[in-house]
Amino acid sequence: MKHILVIDDAATVRLYHRNILETAGYSVDEAINGIEALEKALVTSYDLYIVDVNMPKLDGYGFLKEFRRQEDVLQSPAIMVTTEAGNQDKILGYASGANLYMTKPTKPNQLLSYVRLLLGEVA
Amino acid sequence: MNNLLEQFLSEARDFLQGIAEKLMQLENDPNSTELMVELFRFVHTLKGNSGLFDFPEMTRVLHASEDLMDAVRNGRVSYSQTLADQLLEAMDFVSALMDEIELTGKTGSNHVGTSTELTNALRALLNAPNAVHVPVAIETYTEDGLAVKAISWSELPPMDLPESTAMGLHRCAIDGETVLWLQYTPEPECFFKGEDPFFLIRQIPDVAWRHIILNNTASTLAEMDVFSSQLVFQLLTIASAEELDDLLRYVPDQIHRVKVPALAFVKPSGNSDDVGLDEDFIINILEFFDNDEIETLTNTINTMLELSSPDLWSSSALRWVLHLIETEPDNKPVQRTLLEALRTQKTPDWSALTLPDVEPTRNVVASPVVSINTSEVSDTLLVYFHEVIDAQKEILSLPATSGGAWSAGRLKAVGATLIGCYRAVQRANEVEHIEAALQLALTENSPTPLLIWLDNSLLDTHEPVLVEEHEEHIVVNHLAAQTDAKSNRRSEEIGGANIVAASKTLKVDQDKIDRLMNLIGEMVVAKNALPYLANRAETVFGVRELSREIKAQYAVINRVAEEMQDTIMQVRMMPVSFIFQRFPRMVRDISRKLGKEVELVLEGEATEADKNIIEALSDPLIHIVRNSLDHGLEMPEARLAAGKFATGKLLIRASQESDRVLIEIIDDGKGIDPDVIKQKAYEKGLIDESTLERISDQDAVNLVFAAGFSTADVISDLSGRGVGMDVVRSAVEKVNGTVGIESERGKGTRLFLSLPLSMAVTNVMIIESNTQIFGVPMDMVVETVRVPRAHIRTIKQKQTTVLRGRIVPLLSLNDLLAKSEPQLPNEDDEFATLIVRVHGEHVGILVDDFRETVDIILKPMTGILGGLPGYSGAALLGDGSVLMVLNPRELI
Repeated sequence: MKHILVIDDAATVRLYHRNILETAGYSVDEAINGIEALEKALVTSYDLYIVDVNMPKLDGYGFLKEFRRQEDVLQSPAIMVTTEAGNQDKILGYASGANLYMTKPTKPNQLLSYVRLLLGEVA
Repeated sequence: MNNLLEQFLSEARDFLQGIAEKLMQLENDPNSTELMVELFRFVHTLKGNSGLFDFPEMTRVLHASEDLMDAVRNGRVSYSQTLADQLLEAMDFVSALMDEIELTGKTGSNHVGTSTELTNALRALLNAPNAVHVPVAIETYTEDGLAVKAISWSELPPMDLPESTAMGLHRCAIDGETVLWLQYTPEPECFFKGEDPFFLIRQIPDVAWRHIILNNTASTLAEMDVFSSQLVFQLLTIASAEELDDLLRYVPDQIHRVKVPALAFVKPSGNSDDVGLDEDFIINILEFFDNDEIETLTNTINTMLELSSPDLWSSSALRWVLHLIETEPDNKPVQRTLLEALRTQKTPDWSALTLPDVEPTRNVVASPVVSINTSEVSDTLLVYFHEVIDAQKEILSLPATSGGAWSAGRLKAVGATLIGCYRAVQRANEVEHIEAALQLALTENSPTPLLIWLDNSLLDTHEPVLVEEHEEHIVVNHLAAQTDAKSNRRSEEIGGANIVAASKTLKVDQDKIDRLMNLIGEMVVAKNALPYLANRAETVFGVRELSREIKAQYAVINRVAEEMQDTIMQVRMMPVSFIFQRFPRMVRDISRKLGKEVELVLEGEATEADKNIIEALSDPLIHIVRNSLDHGLEMPEARLAAGKFATGKLLIRASQESDRVLIEIIDDGKGIDPDVIKQKAYEKGLIDESTLERISDQDAVNLVFAAGFSTADVISDLSGRGVGMDVVRSAVEKVNGTVGIESERGKGTRLFLSLPLSMAVTNVMIIESNTQIFGVPMDMVVETVRVPRAHIRTIKQKQTTVLRGRIVPLLSLNDLLAKSEPQLPNEDDEFATLIVRVHGEHVGILVDDFRETVDIILKPMTGILGGLPGYSGAALLGDGSVLMVLNPRELI
């Protein structure tokens, strides 16, 4: 089973994503900020990261930058999920190491389509 | 109430509490940026959360609050008492809404007024109340909404087309094609009327863009009413009106159509640059434009484009200008308006401009086609696929300055994303190319190799297929013609290189390959020592970090070792034709000798398997073929009498089934008579009288594999040499194969051998019994279960249990190995039980405990130990100890 880490400071958003992803048969872990996400990601090799931008302690950009710097981890794709959809934010996200940008609230079908694509699952 | 809503309410209350607290603290310390940032984050998160639900009044107020706090945080608006009051009032409203949601599960429609009032008040506090235009995140279309109301194209929802698609559509519109925006809102009950909205929407030809909106009131998937359609489809198509009328004839009332003029697509997009283009430059190009110096103009623009980042809004606008000059050279007003827009960096309001009716000025160049494929991969998926691929291109094209130097991590992640995408659209054959490009990119620490690959892949492999399949499809300009030519040249070079590479082969001494195989085997074992080492580093020496590093390194070595093993395995693969080729002569000789007429058919000669397997197969196959010729096929007269052709047919077929090779030997002879077999077996004492009576025909046929069985009445010098099919069986089982037989009296016999592709590495499960560990080959293990003592029944002094409605005999491993100790249950009084398949039957073996599974190189026992029954061999474990691998077939 594919293992996905959902990183968001809002419990509601985490649950929202968990519901969508678990219904689709994925196993989901949560982290409430960049620091916790890093701690988890360095121990467990997740297949995909769903990353919020605005978080206390360490934000999504910071998490991705640090994570992408790690050499001996599986560099799985990351989807950045945020309310800010300006082009500048997008560039920042891409430069930090995100692979895709989605605007909140994510649409379940779109999210799942992206997830399947990034995980390489044939429909 | 569902769990998500509950979570939202409880978290939202915390946030409201937090917002109130922060506001109070700000009263005392109005200049604390820290507090403002916190406050903004609370409001921001709360707004984000509320967006997950359909509470438009709440979201609107929170959105306005967020914008206000954002302005405060950035110093654009100063914090004031009024502002705090206004925010608190807004939060009180949100709180009241939440109470209502908690009670009724929804918000009433009577709040629209308050919500608008509050929003306006909040926006009024922002200096420029209208400057912030925020599109509503989820667009809901009610029955009395867009679908019915007539709208003009300027009111269409934003489509967010990629520039290349927009340009292609613009070109189509200029060339006189009608581009239609179509919205299809299926009736919620449509499924009960036998309508299939998805099918219908897929029928629409020449679609350039499509978008599906979930018009969903349920907040979770589980709550969604799956029996009613909640989708709204939007798309752009250049299909003719007649065609659409015909297709959509059953649902005309659910369709909304708007003709989109060419200008609607002229919509530059990108980052707005704070500085903008140099005013001198703008004045210059406007001058060129007004003096009709088009060539100078295009040259200047091209130079500018080369100098500036392609992602800027101004660059996009300049590209559009070039595009317009090319496609609509006479439409000066539009070109000029767009040039002037470079100052404001805002798309001009085309609807204000009187639209000149432009005649087609030129024919469509055979532009590359993109992205609409209706094969197995669904259209939506393909659209997403292209979005993701475009995003990766954007990432790779980012200048190094905006994100620091290229890091390996980001390249790898892009690689992983690309591989995922290509797999998902069933183009896994590209994966190795991506991997190669990624490796190159990593070595060079540059995104270029991946970018080149992407450009090539999109042009070379993708397009020809699409163009072939959908020649009639809409033309969307994707990449300029010159890149096309360039990449063609590139692909030729690549093609040339392939031809050279393909002709290079090398003859290598077989011993060298075997030695290589042994070495890689040793290496697989040696690498298995690393996890032990990591474990020891942690438990014995207490250095966790080192342990983790060793594990990480192990992962790398493991991957390389596995790849290496695969590669060497490939080298050792041999086609079965190696043994098949002797059959034509052999069959001819034997049939002559017997006076039979036989036609031999060989199939699947190209099927490959490991050299050892092929070699091990040789003798059994000869034996089987002789048997078929001798006992199976009848004499011509007998065949004619039975109504068959005089010439018998013998088919030898090889095929690959997942990781096994299947070899079948099929004859159309007289088949095996189960009664004869039963009688013989009884006479030879292989079965007793009671078995004779109840044995099934299939079981009887299987008796030919029993030791010392030979049915030929006269022992011929061909097949009957006192040894029978049992020799075949043991030879096949020695290489982990299985053999089976099917026969129909009078019709023929089918013998089949199933063999592993390779026998180099064996996957075994380690089990523990009587303080010793043993291995059991994984391919014999059906499952592992823990059987509670209470579930073990004794039937006729034999232990059994019922597993999924099936009686499974249980044997204790200690008993099988002649140890007197009883098997140890776990603390819940359950016995670890290994269910193995032996001769097609399931048998449970009780052990003390299960351990992990490992890959080992199984060495058969040699010398004195060679005859030891019950073991298939031994192997070295990572920690240097010897693992005895059991052979349950012999053991039981």
